[in-house]
Amino acid sequence: MTISLSARNVAKRYGAVTALSDANLDIRSGEVLALIGANGSGKSTLSKIINGVVVLDGGQLLVDDRPVHFQSPHAAKSLGISTVFQELSLVPQMTVAENIFLTREPLRGGLVDRGAVRQKTEQLLALFAGMFKTDLTPDTPVGPLPPDEKQIIEILKAVSFNPRLLILDEATASLDSRQVQRLFELVVRWKEEGKAIVFVSHRMEEIFQIADRYTVLRNGATVGEGPMQGVTTRDLVGMMVAGVTAENVVHRARPTAEELAARKVTLDVKDLRAEAVHGVSFQLHEGELLGLGGLRGQGQHQLLLALFGDIRHSGNITIDVTPVHFTHPRQAMENRLALVPGERAKEGLLLIRSILENFLIPSWRRYGFPLRIGKARQEATNVSMSLNLKMAGLDAPVSSLSGGNAQKVVIGKWLLRNPRILMLDDPTKGIDVGAKAEFYKLLAQLCGEGKSVLLYSSDDEELIGLSDRVLVMHDGSIRTELIGESLTKSNLVAASLGATQEALP
Amino acid sequence: MIRHSWRRLTNQNRIPFALVLLAVVLLVNFMLQPNLLEPATMNSSMRIFLPLILVAVGQTIVILAGGIDISAGAIVSITNAILATQIGTRGDTGTAMLMMLAVLFVGMAAGAVNGFFVAILRLQPIITTYATSFLFGGLALLILPSPGGGMPSTFTSFYRETRPLGIPLAFFIIALIMLAWYGIRQTRYGRYLFAVGGNADAAYQTGVPVNMVQFSTYMISGLMAAFGGIAITLLTGSGNAQIGDSLTLAAITAVVIGGTALSGGSGTIAGAIIGAIILSLLPNLISFANIETWWQTFLNAAIIVIALALPGFMNLLRRRRT
Amino acid sequence: MSIGRIAIPPPLAAVLLAIVLFLLSGLLPNGFGSNPDIAASQATNIIRLAVFLGIVAAGQTLVIISGAEGIDLSAGAVVTLSAIVTYSIVNGNNENVLLALPAALIVGAAVGFVNGLGVTYLRIAPLVMTLGMAGVVTGLIIVITQGSVTGAVAPVMTQVIARPLVLGIPGAILIWAVFGALMWFLLQRTTYGKNLFAVGTNRITSRLSGVNVTGMVVGTYALAGMLAGLAGFLVVGNTGVVHIRIGDPFLFPSIAAVAVGGTLLTGGKGSYWGTMAGALVLTLITSLLTTMQMPESVRRMVLGGTLLIMISIYGRQRGLRQ
Repeated sequence: MTISLSARNVAKRYGAVTALSDANLDIRSGEVLALIGANGSGKSTLSKIINGVVVLDGGQLLVDDRPVHFQSPHAAKSLGISTVFQELSLVPQMTVAENIFLTREPLRGGLVDRGAVRQKTEQLLALFAGMFKTDLTPDTPVGPLPPDEKQIIEILKAVSFNPRLLILDEATASLDSRQVQRLFELVVRWKEEGKAIVFVSHRMEEIFQIADRYTVLRNGATVGEGPMQGVTTRDLVGMMVAGVTAENVVHRARPTAEELAARKVTLDVKDLRAEAVHGVSFQLHEGELLGLGGLRGQGQHQLLLALFGDIRHSGNITIDVTPVHFTHPRQAMENRLALVPGERAKEGLLLIRSILENFLIPSWRRYGFPLRIGKARQEATNVSMSLNLKMAGLDAPVSSLSGGNAQKVVIGKWLLRNPRILMLDDPTKGIDVGAKAEFYKLLAQLCGEGKSVLLYSSDDEELIGLSDRVLVMHDGSIRTELIGESLTKSNLVAASLGATQEALP
Repeated sequence: MIRHSWRRLTNQNRIPFALVLLAVVLLVNFMLQPNLLEPATMNSSMRIFLPLILVAVGQTIVILAGGIDISAGAIVSITNAILATQIGTRGDTGTAMLMMLAVLFVGMAAGAVNGFFVAILRLQPIITTYATSFLFGGLALLILPSPGGGMPSTFTSFYRETRPLGIPLAFFIIALIMLAWYGIRQTRYGRYLFAVGGNADAAYQTGVPVNMVQFSTYMISGLMAAFGGIAITLLTGSGNAQIGDSLTLAAITAVVIGGTALSGGSGTIAGAIIGAIILSLLPNLISFANIETWWQTFLNAAIIVIALALPGFMNLLRRRRT
Repeated sequence: MSIGRIAIPPPLAAVLLAIVLFLLSGLLPNGFGSNPDIAASQATNIIRLAVFLGIVAAGQTLVIISGAEGIDLSAGAVVTLSAIVTYSIVNGNNENVLLALPAALIVGAAVGFVNGLGVTYLRIAPLVMTLGMAGVVTGLIIVITQGSVTGAVAPVMTQVIARPLVLGIPGAILIWAVFGALMWFLLQRTTYGKNLFAVGTNRITSRLSGVNVTGMVVGTYALAGMLAGLAGFLVVGNTGVVHIRIGDPFLFPSIAAVAVGGTLLTGGKGSYWGTMAGALVLTLITSLLTTMQMPESVRRMVLGGTLLIMISIYGRQRGLRQ
């Protein structure tokens, strides 16, 4: 049952982006290791390397002091390493029991022993007895269950392997406090049984409650480790953010609250509701760069889509003085809104088409009938030059571009339409440092021209460095507004973790 | 409240919905044709329905696992062509039995061709099996260029007239299929079918051999189409290389009526069988309703399109209301 | 397609293939041998035959480019329907031609519009929906004709379409040349064309860039139906007689022609001039097989095999491993 696992100098690159440069981690039986770090510090990549989903580029992984090379998640499982994924691996149409024991169904005479499956599932469900809001049985289909119950089933699925090492990757993010407490009781029991547990979480209080030791990642490297005894939240947050030089962030003169209030309101949102957005109200001013912060998946994505008319929503939205209700992005676009979506390849680009066509998708109508291709090409050329786009030519497929350059095309297609309100959904994800710096300059310049920018970023430094003001979202609503003096990294981290306005210094 | 129960009826309990539809069709049919439920009439109906039922069962399994088999009808045609030419009206029993066994392997081989292109080469199932339907259909025509051939009457009358315990033979075959399906559902393989169709990525992550499962469903569909081919040959007692053409779309429609989602992952064999019976009763209904013959093809086709549209239409209403 | 490091664009490869096939046909016992005059007239004839396939395949090109497994299996039935409509409206009178042409186009567009509604609002898989509509249209044809097609072709249609018009070139070929230019214009020089490629590549990106995806898809199916209607009108002028299966032989080759022409079957990429080359290749294959006195069965298998090879080259899906 005992296990020891070490990661030594692990490195992983995705194209030009370095996810991990020098990650180190040690864990052995009977302990809970907290793996912590700010958004984008490489926690997820490291846990995916440990469970075989991602193959490392450099460094070494040792299990029981022997080097291992996982070619698939299956290889890691056979060594007793099991993971609770944040993106769930459940089949919605199948029942709880079927999902938990998929590929490992107990057999009797060649047939699935349904009694045994049900019984074993019931034993597993009993671990969380009283924690379900629905009357959950082994035969309940998984699809319609609420997110917390799906998460618990994902945890039970991982545990049903009886693993030696269990990785909980943000497994508590969708659980309520009672469910978290129960999970922790179980973690303690598993620990005593000799399991090793890697606990990846953003929630400090949980880390202090459950972890024995910590490993802190910053920018893809391990910057601290040790026993939890004797450290404070302050120390840990310090390690997560300390030493950060915001050299690639453009510092602009931030307007004060009074100065902002004096400016014209370009976008006024009152009680906006949509899927995962539960009543959001705010105002966006002329020339303002308004940041949206918070942990991933707190409704920021849906908020932007709702404003752009892509998903159903209710509430009062006013642009300048005109009330609007968009039911299609085209209407938002004609009111000079623009959205740079979060999934560049899936939502922002036409990968197999040319750079030229990617620039022009929203704008073809302007070039008349028949299309004045020459004029369109000229304007696309101008934008690509102003964005300093590095490309083989406008007719090259957009898939030939690097992440940063491809993102410039997504932004460029909107700049061609000269928008007044630019919304961006985590635009620098997977972009190298050089391109980020250019990008920050561009945003600053656009604000300088009087455009309003609404920026969601999962990179906290970026938000602090760029924004005039940051609204921190939690569970579909705006929990905290950070402006002026209160706009600091530690406040942002604290607010993301759920601290309310009043609790901040 | 009404909306809620309607939703449950149409969404969660698809089989009862198909059963209600069946009851309505049967009732109307019964009024037009009062001897409908007499054993002799029932037997003569069910022996006509059986080929479609068999093909629909195979189609359900492919669709459950997230694929589709447009070539099923052409496989029916191949087996019909082989049986009609190789046995003939004066063939001896031994040859007939051997050939019937042989066409089952032919059906599976055709399914394996589909499986190879779809599951191993990872081509789009719809267009691939559409292409192979021409391959198989051409093969059927090559074997039997113009309608002809046949089966010995001992076989055809066995198929047409056998009624053990007074119950039509088709019911025994359906019972056998249901039993086999119940068995399959109790195996790991049965679980894999649903997992692959429901969420192939999650299934792969969990360690389900996704490609092999998909491959096998095409072989099963080929096998069931071959059984369908045997049934239709015994029914008609003759050969026609295009006899299976109309079965493909009818089988898919039967699967849809039976509540199986074309996107895969949920559905039942029983639903498909009920769907096939409903679909087979409708032409009956049309022909007994004294509608001019010119309208029959049109009405049959229109019913198929409406049946295909039904789930989408209900979804549309649901989305509009919320 | 790429050979070594030299990449040949698929449409060019199709043209080269057409030339090779044509030269090969010269080597056949009853081919043109080494007589350039016979070769020229044979070439003209092949191209003239390819025109009708080429125009059916134009609509097919558009729906296939629109992506999401877009395909139109009702095209064959629509060709027949519009041919019958043309035939009966014209009824031998030159004056009625101007009435018959819009009627043929509207009939085709109406069927395509229904296809479009089915695949968008009702979310029926395009292949299944259009196959169902093919049945409906065939039923409609039986209702309209009641078994016998009456009417006559107008002299002016035969004159313009079937006979040599300028420099010994048949009118159909000239019409095709103009049509090809218009198709190029539609795809490359209009907002519709640009949006079509966008919708076929990625519907989410298209919507988030302000393209009305549903409208585009419905419109494209309607346009494809209209082009099938146009093909039906032209076919009447070429053959002079109409029967109720006149459009069927165009269906499968129209899809194969699009694939041979290098249009991605997954959507988002393609050209009409590729399809034109593809139509030539398929017409050549068919006429080669006819010259070699191959039966219908072999023709079908060759067509099925051709499509299968094309899908294998252009139609791979993403694998499960990341």
